[in-house]
Amino acid sequence: MSTLQYNRLCFHLKLAILWMLFSGAVFCIHVFASTTEVETNSDAGKFIMKSYFENYESLHDSSFEDFMAHQLSSSLCQGIPDNWNVGVRLSVRELSLVGEGSHRHLSSSIRLQIAAASIPKLPAHLCEVIVIQRLPLGVFADPFELQNPHKHKAFRDIAVFGDTNLELPSFQSNRSAVEFHIDAGFNILFMQNNGTEFNLLLPLDARYQPLDESGYSVVEIGEPDMLMRCSVEGKQHKQSCLFMSPPNEKAKSTSATVAWKIPAGMKAHAGFLSVITFVTALLSTLSIVYASMFLSGTKVSKT
Amino acid sequence: MISLKPRSILLISAIFRVGLILVGEWQDTHMEVRYTDVDYLVFSDAASLMASGQSPYKRTTYRYSPLLAFLLIPNSFISRCWGKFLFSASDLFVGLFIRIILKQRKVPDDLCTYSMLIWLFNPFTFTIGTRGNCEPIVCAIILWIIICLINGNVVQAAFWYGLIVHFRIYPIIYVLPIVIFLDPRFFRYGTKPLLSDWTSDPGKARQINSELIDKCAVCDVWKSTFTRSRILFGLISGTVFLLCTGFFFHLYGWEFLHEALLYHLTRTDARHNFSIYFYHIYLNYERELSVLEKLVSFLPQFIVQLVLILCFAKDLVFCFFVQTVAFVAFNKVITAQYFVWFFCVLPLILPWSNMKLKWKGLCCILLWMGAQTHWLLWGYLLEFKGKNVFLQLWMASLLFLAANTFILIVLIRHHNYGPVFRQHTDLKTTKTT
Repeated sequence: MSTLQYNRLCFHLKLAILWMLFSGAVFCIHVFASTTEVETNSDAGKFIMKSYFENYESLHDSSFEDFMAHQLSSSLCQGIPDNWNVGVRLSVRELSLVGEGSHRHLSSSIRLQIAAASIPKLPAHLCEVIVIQRLPLGVFADPFELQNPHKHKAFRDIAVFGDTNLELPSFQSNRSAVEFHIDAGFNILFMQNNGTEFNLLLPLDARYQPLDESGYSVVEIGEPDMLMRCSVEGKQHKQSCLFMSPPNEKAKSTSATVAWKIPAGMKAHAGFLSVITFVTALLSTLSIVYASMFLSGTKVSKT
Repeated sequence: MISLKPRSILLISAIFRVGLILVGEWQDTHMEVRYTDVDYLVFSDAASLMASGQSPYKRTTYRYSPLLAFLLIPNSFISRCWGKFLFSASDLFVGLFIRIILKQRKVPDDLCTYSMLIWLFNPFTFTIGTRGNCEPIVCAIILWIIICLINGNVVQAAFWYGLIVHFRIYPIIYVLPIVIFLDPRFFRYGTKPLLSDWTSDPGKARQINSELIDKCAVCDVWKSTFTRSRILFGLISGTVFLLCTGFFFHLYGWEFLHEALLYHLTRTDARHNFSIYFYHIYLNYERELSVLEKLVSFLPQFIVQLVLILCFAKDLVFCFFVQTVAFVAFNKVITAQYFVWFFCVLPLILPWSNMKLKWKGLCCILLWMGAQTHWLLWGYLLEFKGKNVFLQLWMASLLFLAANTFILIVLIRHHNYGPVFRQHTDLKTTKTT
């Protein structure tokens, strides 16, 4: 190829690439409107789980319940006398696992009930329901999947806290939790006597499980923790505070869990498997070596 | 006989890729299953972090050179599709470079065209770039290195080689064949090396071959190791690699070194993949593997690479191909994107193969695809149906290795081996007198 032809080719290539990039960029920007993105872990003061992980290294049920009982109590709404008179009730009506295999959805149906007399007291348009789903060791929520705007446009915020390493097996990972924030304003204003319902569909993925003789490992997922947070007028400025269901209604029933059976490796396979793996690798190696040295066009001869 | 001109082929390929990218964007926005590779989101996030002055390694699972994040910084302020267009452009460059290499070796036009089509319209390769995978950049640079070498431009080849090894570790396997390839009989100061032209006559190819076959490639290396070309190549590529690595180490510290380099050197993944070792790793994940076990799993790779280099280094392009196939097949982790590494070199060796598409070629294609499909079937049952089929999946990976080995052997048997270069006439005359 002559130098002139080479230079001309380079010039044409550059033009083509620039044209391609420009036209594509124009399309991407103008034809497909950008969709709202789910923020992950963006606002320091917003997420309750972020506060939890500032005080604790990892997620344990006992530490979390202690955190909810004691550390959050200072955030309960004080302005309204006797928080419980507001009559906020958050309960899980249904909890189920949808789908098959290693990628499923946790379906939660949550009911919010507020005593009718209390509704006018609430700044409905400034309230949100917070749902915290603690996940056991064997499963995780993929933060990237939660960024899918098509699925999660109903939520104000979603974030994953704890161990978000997607690659580690369960016996080398820690627990995580997902926190949802759902705008409750519209629902409160038009609430019926039996309350209003929110449906959550959380995509979950199974980690590789510890080895098990049966070939399966069972992971149990419990009910989420729920609160409502409203912005209220304080003495000097607006501040947010929390409403929780009364303590006697917060105790969860043991039957309100879902079980997920996940395939696990079997120790019984270990012995013969390693031998066969290495023998196969060796046979392949010898075959390629033989073919290269004796069956190819190469010749080893003196010139 | 195909009568399409190369420009038309490239234009159609470009339009096709632009269309795929746009359709992919629509799919991402409107459908549950994304078109875009999850890795592209990782690159983009890392690029955003870099654009705001932070370390790209704050993004979990970003395990690449900061160069990649740098290239994708325009994702943040031009368009999130910028990276896809960049990768697709590299994809087109690969097609162009395939043609340039083959034309320089005097391959007939129709074979050049077929070779371009094999890359540009391979469903596997055109989805890779348009989904946002960065492998086309690596492929384009490797082919450019080949172009530099066959034009005798050792300095430029060394520069790009140092850069690409920094970018993606695996091309380090090519260092020894390149050093052997820089034979002083062909690479002489001030003289462009003479290319061996393509020939369809296997007999003539063997004759050319026998003129230049030496006693032993290893003996060559030891006899004349420290030639100007070899020293230059080693110094420049090593310097470029160390400069890039040192610069980014200075910026991002041990996190960069661990994530971008050491992770890949020591990577094992217990999760299911095409490698025959995946189940063995999973079953032994809770304990540390012994030195003997690590050595035994490394030896097949080492032996195969060494033998392939010693046998085929003079036919550099073919050597690259067989090395890459073997490297991927014997690796501890095999994912589908690794196949692109040898797909980009495959069109360059086909004109030298006397294997006919009907029916041997077709059988090889079907065997490879069949073994892969078989593995994917068990993988689907495990991952999407929750069945415990680990054993069957492992057996499928053994079959996949067997298929790869068989096809590699068939390609070796049917390849008209011939060194890329021929000797300069004056040196040949001196040798014969």
